[in-house]
Amino acid sequence: MPDIGWSDDELLDALRDALTTADDVPRNFVDAGKAAFAWRTIDAELAALTYDSAWDALEPVTVRSESAMLRSLTFASEGWTIEIELTPDAVLGQLDPAEAGTVRARGDGGEFGTAAIDDLGFFALRPVPTAPYRLICTTTSGTTILTGWITP
Amino acid sequence: MRDDPTVVGLVTRARDGDKDAWDELVERYAPLVWSVCRRYRLAQADVDDVGQSVWLRLIEHLPGLREPAALPGWIATTTQRECFRLLRATSRVEPVDPAESHDVAVHAIAEEEVLRHERRTILRAAFAELSRQCQKLLALLAQDPPTPYDEISRQLSLPIGSIGPNRARCLNRLRRAPALALLVAGGPDEELRR
Repeated sequence: MPDIGWSDDELLDALRDALTTADDVPRNFVDAGKAAFAWRTIDAELAALTYDSAWDALEPVTVRSESAMLRSLTFASEGWTIEIELTPDAVLGQLDPAEAGTVRARGDGGEFGTAAIDDLGFFALRPVPTAPYRLICTTTSGTTILTGWITP
Repeated sequence: MRDDPTVVGLVTRARDGDKDAWDELVERYAPLVWSVCRRYRLAQADVDDVGQSVWLRLIEHLPGLREPAALPGWIATTTQRECFRLLRATSRVEPVDPAESHDVAVHAIAEEEVLRHERRTILRAAFAELSRQCQKLLALLAQDPPTPYDEISRQLSLPIGSIGPNRARCLNRLRRAPALALLVAGGPDEELRR
Protein backbone atom coordinates (compact mmCIF):
# COMPACT_ATOMS: atom_id res chain seq x y z
CA MET A 1 0.00 0.00 0.00
CA PRO A 2 1.70 3.22 -1.13
CA ASP A 3 1.85 5.87 1.54
CA ILE A 4 -0.31 8.45 -0.19
CA GLY A 5 -3.75 9.89 0.53
CA TRP A 6 -4.96 10.57 4.03
CA SER A 7 -2.71 10.80 7.04
CA ASP A 8 -3.84 9.08 10.25
CA ASP A 9 -5.12 12.37 11.65
CA GLU A 10 -7.04 13.20 8.47
CA LEU A 11 -8.58 9.75 8.39
CA LEU A 12 -9.60 10.01 12.04
CA ASP A 13 -11.14 13.45 11.39
CA ALA A 14 -13.14 12.03 8.48
CA LEU A 15 -14.27 9.11 10.65
CA ARG A 16 -15.33 11.49 13.42
CA ASP A 17 -17.41 13.45 10.89
CA ALA A 18 -18.99 10.24 9.54
CA LEU A 19 -19.86 8.82 12.97
CA THR A 20 -21.21 12.03 14.51
CA THR A 21 -23.34 13.11 11.53
CA ALA A 22 -25.33 9.89 11.68
CA ASP A 23 -25.95 10.48 15.40
CA ASP A 24 -27.06 14.07 14.79
CA VAL A 25 -30.15 13.10 12.81
CA PRO A 26 -33.08 12.84 15.26
CA ARG A 27 -34.78 9.44 15.37
CA ASN A 28 -38.25 10.98 14.97
CA PHE A 29 -37.12 12.62 11.71
CA VAL A 30 -36.13 9.20 10.35
CA ASP A 31 -39.27 7.53 11.70
CA ALA A 32 -41.53 10.18 10.11
CA GLY A 33 -39.79 9.47 6.80
CA LYS A 34 -40.51 5.76 7.14
CA ALA A 35 -44.16 6.46 8.01
CA ALA A 36 -44.55 8.54 4.84
CA PHE A 37 -44.69 5.26 2.89
CA ALA A 38 -48.29 4.78 4.07
CA TRP A 39 -49.26 7.67 1.77
CA ARG A 40 -47.92 6.05 -1.37
CA THR A 41 -51.30 4.65 -2.42
CA ILE A 42 -52.71 8.16 -2.69
CA ASP A 43 -52.07 9.43 -6.17
CA ALA A 44 -52.23 13.14 -5.46
CA GLU A 45 -50.71 16.49 -6.18
CA LEU A 46 -48.76 17.70 -3.19
CA ALA A 47 -49.74 21.08 -1.80
CA ALA A 48 -46.93 22.43 0.37
CA LEU A 49 -47.36 24.90 3.20
CA THR A 50 -46.79 28.45 1.96
CA TYR A 51 -48.30 30.45 4.83
CA ASP A 52 -49.01 29.84 8.51
CA SER A 53 -50.36 32.61 10.73
CA ALA A 54 -48.29 31.06 13.52
CA TRP A 55 -45.22 32.45 11.69
CA ASP A 56 -46.50 36.01 12.26
CA ALA A 57 -46.82 35.33 15.96
CA LEU A 58 -43.08 34.77 16.04
CA GLU A 59 -42.46 38.31 14.82
CA PRO A 60 -42.21 40.63 17.82
CA VAL A 61 -43.43 43.68 15.88
CA THR A 62 -46.75 42.15 14.80
CA VAL A 63 -49.80 43.93 16.17
CA ARG A 64 -52.23 41.27 17.35
CA SER A 65 -55.71 41.75 15.95
CA GLU A 66 -58.92 39.84 16.75
CA SER A 67 -58.62 37.74 13.61
CA ALA A 68 -55.14 36.66 14.67
CA MET A 69 -56.84 34.50 17.29
CA LEU A 70 -57.77 31.96 14.59
CA ARG A 71 -54.96 30.10 12.95
CA SER A 72 -54.92 30.22 9.18
CA LEU A 73 -52.79 28.21 6.78
CA THR A 74 -52.24 28.22 3.05
CA PHE A 75 -51.13 25.22 1.00
CA ALA A 76 -50.23 25.49 -2.67
CA SER A 77 -49.40 23.08 -5.49
CA GLU A 78 -48.64 23.99 -9.10
CA GLY A 79 -52.27 24.57 -9.98
CA TRP A 80 -54.18 24.78 -6.69
CA THR A 81 -54.30 26.82 -3.52
CA ILE A 82 -56.10 25.70 -0.36
CA GLU A 83 -56.70 28.24 2.37
CA ILE A 84 -57.53 26.80 5.76
CA GLU A 85 -58.88 28.43 8.88
CA LEU A 86 -58.86 26.44 12.10
CA THR A 87 -61.82 27.38 14.28
CA PRO A 88 -62.61 25.65 17.60
CA ASP A 89 -65.35 23.49 16.06
CA ALA A 90 -64.47 23.15 12.37
CA VAL A 91 -61.73 23.18 9.76
CA LEU A 92 -62.88 25.78 7.22
CA GLY A 93 -61.35 25.62 3.77
CA GLN A 94 -61.40 27.33 0.42
CA LEU A 95 -60.18 25.67 -2.74
CA ASP A 96 -58.89 27.93 -5.49
CA PRO A 97 -59.77 27.67 -8.36
CA ALA A 98 -63.23 26.88 -6.99
CA GLU A 99 -64.50 23.39 -7.71
CA ALA A 100 -66.88 21.00 -5.97
CA GLY A 101 -65.74 17.68 -4.52
CA THR A 102 -65.01 16.00 -1.21
CA VAL A 103 -62.39 16.54 1.45
CA ARG A 104 -61.02 13.96 3.88
CA ALA A 105 -58.80 14.44 6.91
CA ARG A 106 -56.34 11.60 7.40
CA GLY A 107 -53.58 10.94 9.93
CA ASP A 108 -51.17 8.08 10.49
CA GLY A 109 -53.85 6.33 12.54
CA GLY A 110 -56.58 6.51 9.89
CA GLU A 111 -59.32 8.86 8.73
CA PHE A 112 -60.81 11.55 10.96
CA GLY A 113 -63.74 12.65 8.87
CA THR A 114 -65.00 13.77 5.52
CA ALA A 115 -67.00 16.72 4.18
CA ALA A 116 -68.37 18.01 0.89
CA ILE A 117 -66.69 20.84 -1.00
CA ASP A 118 -69.42 23.07 -2.49
CA ASP A 119 -69.54 24.64 -5.97
CA LEU A 120 -67.73 27.71 -4.67
CA GLY A 121 -64.84 25.57 -3.42
CA PHE A 122 -65.76 26.01 0.25
CA PHE A 123 -65.85 23.29 2.91
CA ALA A 124 -66.37 22.94 6.65
CA LEU A 125 -65.00 19.76 8.18
CA ARG A 126 -66.28 18.77 11.64
CA PRO A 127 -65.16 17.92 14.22
CA VAL A 128 -61.60 19.26 14.23
CA PRO A 129 -59.18 16.29 14.27
CA THR A 130 -57.34 15.95 17.56
CA ALA A 131 -54.11 14.47 16.17
CA PRO A 132 -51.87 15.60 13.27
CA TYR A 133 -53.56 15.14 9.89
CA ARG A 134 -53.42 15.97 6.20
CA LEU A 135 -56.34 17.03 4.02
CA ILE A 136 -57.08 15.12 0.84
CA CYS A 137 -59.29 17.09 -1.57
CA THR A 138 -60.79 15.21 -4.49
CA THR A 139 -62.52 17.39 -7.06
CA THR A 140 -65.36 16.29 -9.33
CA SER A 141 -63.07 16.66 -12.35
CA GLY A 142 -60.83 13.99 -10.82
CA THR A 143 -57.91 15.91 -9.32
CA THR A 144 -56.64 14.82 -5.90
CA ILE A 145 -54.67 17.27 -3.80
CA LEU A 146 -52.83 16.30 -0.62
CA THR A 147 -51.82 19.02 1.85
CA GLY A 148 -48.82 19.00 4.18
CA TRP A 149 -49.27 18.03 7.83
CA ILE A 150 -51.55 20.13 10.02
CA THR A 151 -50.90 19.92 13.74
CA PRO A 152 -53.91 20.92 15.86
CA MET B 1 -21.20 4.16 -4.43
CA ARG B 2 -22.85 5.70 -7.45
CA ASP B 3 -23.67 2.32 -8.96
CA ASP B 4 -24.29 0.64 -5.63
CA PRO B 5 -26.31 -2.50 -6.50
CA THR B 6 -27.90 -2.42 -3.03
CA VAL B 7 -29.56 0.91 -3.80
CA VAL B 8 -30.83 -0.38 -7.14
CA GLY B 9 -32.39 -3.35 -5.34
CA LEU B 10 -33.92 -1.18 -2.63
CA VAL B 11 -35.47 1.19 -5.16
CA THR B 12 -36.97 -1.69 -7.14
CA ARG B 13 -38.41 -3.34 -4.03
CA ALA B 14 -39.77 -0.07 -2.59
CA ARG B 15 -41.40 0.66 -5.94
CA ASP B 16 -43.20 -2.68 -5.67
CA GLY B 17 -44.51 -1.76 -2.23
CA ASP B 18 -41.87 -3.35 0.05
CA LYS B 19 -42.00 -1.35 3.28
CA ASP B 20 -38.68 -2.77 4.60
CA ALA B 21 -36.88 -1.58 1.47
CA TRP B 22 -38.41 1.87 1.91
CA ASP B 23 -37.31 1.98 5.56
CA GLU B 24 -33.77 1.14 4.48
CA LEU B 25 -33.79 3.91 1.86
CA VAL B 26 -34.96 6.40 4.49
CA GLU B 27 -32.24 5.23 6.92
CA ARG B 28 -29.65 5.76 4.22
CA TYR B 29 -30.75 9.12 2.94
CA ALA B 30 -32.31 10.87 5.95
CA PRO B 31 -28.82 12.19 6.91
CA LEU B 32 -28.51 13.70 3.42
CA VAL B 33 -31.91 15.45 3.66
CA TRP B 34 -30.96 16.59 7.15
CA SER B 35 -27.58 18.01 6.17
CA VAL B 36 -28.98 19.95 3.20
CA CYS B 37 -31.63 21.48 5.50
CA ARG B 38 -28.89 22.42 7.92
CA ARG B 39 -27.20 24.45 5.18
CA TYR B 40 -30.33 26.62 5.10
CA ARG B 41 -30.45 26.94 8.90
CA LEU B 42 -34.07 25.84 9.09
CA ALA B 43 -35.85 25.44 12.43
CA GLN B 44 -36.69 21.90 13.55
CA ALA B 45 -40.40 22.18 12.62
CA ASP B 46 -39.46 23.44 9.15
CA VAL B 47 -36.96 20.62 8.65
CA ASP B 48 -39.77 18.17 9.50
CA ASP B 49 -42.01 19.80 6.88
CA VAL B 50 -39.30 19.71 4.24
CA GLY B 51 -38.55 16.07 5.09
CA GLN B 52 -42.18 15.05 4.61
CA SER B 53 -42.38 16.82 1.24
CA VAL B 54 -39.16 15.19 0.07
CA TRP B 55 -40.25 11.66 1.07
CA LEU B 56 -43.66 12.03 -0.57
CA ARG B 57 -42.08 13.36 -3.73
CA LEU B 58 -39.65 10.46 -3.66
CA ILE B 59 -42.51 7.95 -3.38
CA GLU B 60 -44.09 9.66 -6.37
CA HIS B 61 -40.76 9.66 -8.20
CA LEU B 62 -39.82 5.99 -7.59
CA PRO B 63 -41.71 4.50 -10.56
CA GLY B 64 -40.08 6.96 -12.95
CA LEU B 65 -36.59 6.61 -11.53
CA ARG B 66 -34.60 5.18 -14.44
CA GLU B 67 -31.19 5.37 -12.84
CA PRO B 68 -31.19 4.59 -9.13
CA ALA B 69 -27.55 5.72 -9.11
CA ALA B 70 -28.81 9.27 -9.58
CA LEU B 71 -30.92 8.99 -6.42
CA PRO B 72 -28.65 10.90 -3.98
CA GLY B 73 -28.41 13.82 -6.39
CA TRP B 74 -32.17 13.85 -6.88
CA ILE B 75 -32.78 13.79 -3.11
CA ALA B 76 -30.33 16.63 -2.44
CA THR B 77 -31.75 18.83 -5.21
CA THR B 78 -35.35 18.16 -4.17
CA THR B 79 -34.53 18.95 -0.54
CA GLN B 80 -32.87 22.17 -1.60
CA ARG B 81 -35.93 23.15 -3.64
CA GLU B 82 -38.27 22.45 -0.69
CA CYS B 83 -36.05 24.49 1.65
CA PHE B 84 -36.17 27.33 -0.83
CA ARG B 85 -39.95 27.11 -1.11
CA LEU B 86 -40.34 27.33 2.65
CA LEU B 87 -37.89 30.20 3.05
CA ARG B 88 -39.61 32.16 0.31
CA ALA B 89 -43.03 31.51 1.84
CA THR B 90 -41.98 32.70 5.26
CA SER B 91 -40.17 35.70 3.70
CA ARG B 92 -37.54 35.42 6.35
CA VAL B 93 -34.89 35.85 3.68
CA GLU B 94 -34.94 36.43 -0.06
CA PRO B 95 -33.23 33.29 -1.28
CA VAL B 96 -32.21 32.57 -4.84
CA ASP B 97 -34.25 29.82 -6.51
CA PRO B 98 -31.75 27.01 -7.12
CA ALA B 99 -33.52 26.14 -10.37
CA GLU B 100 -33.18 29.68 -11.73
CA SER B 101 -29.81 30.53 -10.34
CA HIS B 102 -26.67 30.75 -12.42
CA ASP B 103 -24.71 31.03 -9.21
CA VAL B 104 -22.26 28.15 -8.98
CA ALA B 105 -22.33 28.31 -5.18
CA VAL B 106 -26.06 27.55 -5.07
CA HIS B 107 -25.68 24.52 -7.34
CA ALA B 108 -22.63 23.43 -5.41
CA ILE B 109 -24.57 22.97 -2.14
CA ALA B 110 -26.48 19.92 -3.36
CA GLU B 111 -23.42 18.46 -5.04
CA GLU B 112 -21.22 19.01 -1.98
CA GLU B 113 -23.72 17.39 0.36
CA VAL B 114 -24.06 14.38 -1.97
CA LEU B 115 -20.29 13.89 -1.93
CA ARG B 116 -20.12 14.30 1.85
CA HIS B 117 -22.96 11.83 2.27
CA GLU B 118 -21.18 9.29 0.05
CA ARG B 119 -17.95 9.72 1.94
CA ARG B 120 -19.64 9.28 5.31
CA THR B 121 -21.54 6.20 4.12
CA ILE B 122 -18.34 4.60 2.83
CA LEU B 123 -16.47 5.38 6.04
CA ARG B 124 -19.22 3.96 8.21
CA ALA B 125 -19.37 0.80 6.07
CA ALA B 126 -15.59 0.36 6.31
CA PHE B 127 -15.71 1.03 10.07
CA ALA B 128 -18.41 -1.63 10.51
CA GLU B 129 -16.05 -4.24 9.01
CA LEU B 130 -13.31 -3.63 11.57
CA SER B 131 -12.80 -5.89 14.58
CA ARG B 132 -14.76 -5.03 17.74
CA GLN B 133 -11.54 -3.98 19.45
CA CYS B 134 -10.60 -1.57 16.62
CA GLN B 135 -14.15 -0.18 16.52
CA LYS B 136 -14.11 0.53 20.25
CA LEU B 137 -10.68 2.17 20.12
CA LEU B 138 -11.40 4.36 17.07
CA ALA B 139 -14.82 5.36 18.41
CA LEU B 140 -13.19 6.61 21.61
CA LEU B 141 -10.45 8.42 19.68
CA ALA B 142 -13.00 9.93 17.28
CA GLN B 143 -14.91 11.59 20.09
CA ASP B 144 -14.81 15.35 20.25
CA PRO B 145 -12.74 16.12 22.27
CA PRO B 146 -10.83 12.81 21.95
CA THR B 147 -10.97 10.52 24.97
CA PRO B 148 -7.70 10.80 26.96
CA TYR B 149 -5.33 7.82 26.71
CA ASP B 150 -5.58 6.96 30.42
CA GLU B 151 -9.37 6.75 30.10
CA ILE B 152 -9.07 4.55 26.97
CA SER B 153 -6.55 2.40 28.79
CA ARG B 154 -9.03 1.89 31.64
CA GLN B 155 -12.06 1.21 29.42
CA LEU B 156 -10.36 -1.18 26.98
CA SER B 157 -7.87 -2.73 29.44
CA LEU B 158 -5.00 -1.71 27.16
CA PRO B 159 -1.58 -0.54 28.39
CA ILE B 160 -1.22 3.19 27.61
CA GLY B 161 1.95 2.48 25.64
CA SER B 162 0.09 0.22 23.19
CA ILE B 163 -2.68 2.70 22.35
CA GLY B 164 -0.54 4.63 19.83
CA PRO B 165 0.54 1.51 17.87
CA ASN B 166 -3.02 0.11 18.00
CA ARG B 167 -4.39 3.42 16.73
CA ALA B 168 -2.02 3.25 13.74
CA ARG B 169 -2.84 -0.41 13.10
CA CYS B 170 -6.62 0.10 13.23
CA LEU B 171 -6.50 3.20 11.02
CA ASN B 172 -4.42 1.23 8.54
CA ARG B 173 -7.05 -1.51 8.44
CA LEU B 174 -9.69 1.14 7.89
CA ARG B 175 -7.65 2.68 5.11
CA ARG B 176 -7.29 -0.70 3.38
CA ALA B 177 -11.01 -1.47 3.36
CA PRO B 178 -11.88 -1.95 -0.33
CA ALA B 179 -14.69 0.62 -0.22
CA LEU B 180 -12.32 3.23 1.08
CA ALA B 181 -9.54 2.66 -1.44
CA LEU B 182 -10.99 5.07 -4.00
CA LEU B 183 -11.57 7.82 -1.47
CA VAL B 184 -8.12 7.51 0.05
CA ALA B 185 -6.38 7.58 -3.33
CA GLY B 186 -7.95 10.97 -3.90
CA GLY B 187 -6.82 12.32 -0.56
CA PRO B 188 -8.89 14.56 1.68
CA ASP B 189 -10.75 17.11 -0.38
CA GLU B 190 -10.36 20.52 1.25
CA GLU B 191 -13.66 21.62 -0.30
CA LEU B 192 -15.42 18.95 1.67
CA ARG B 193 -14.02 19.74 5.07
CA ARG B 194 -16.08 21.74 7.48
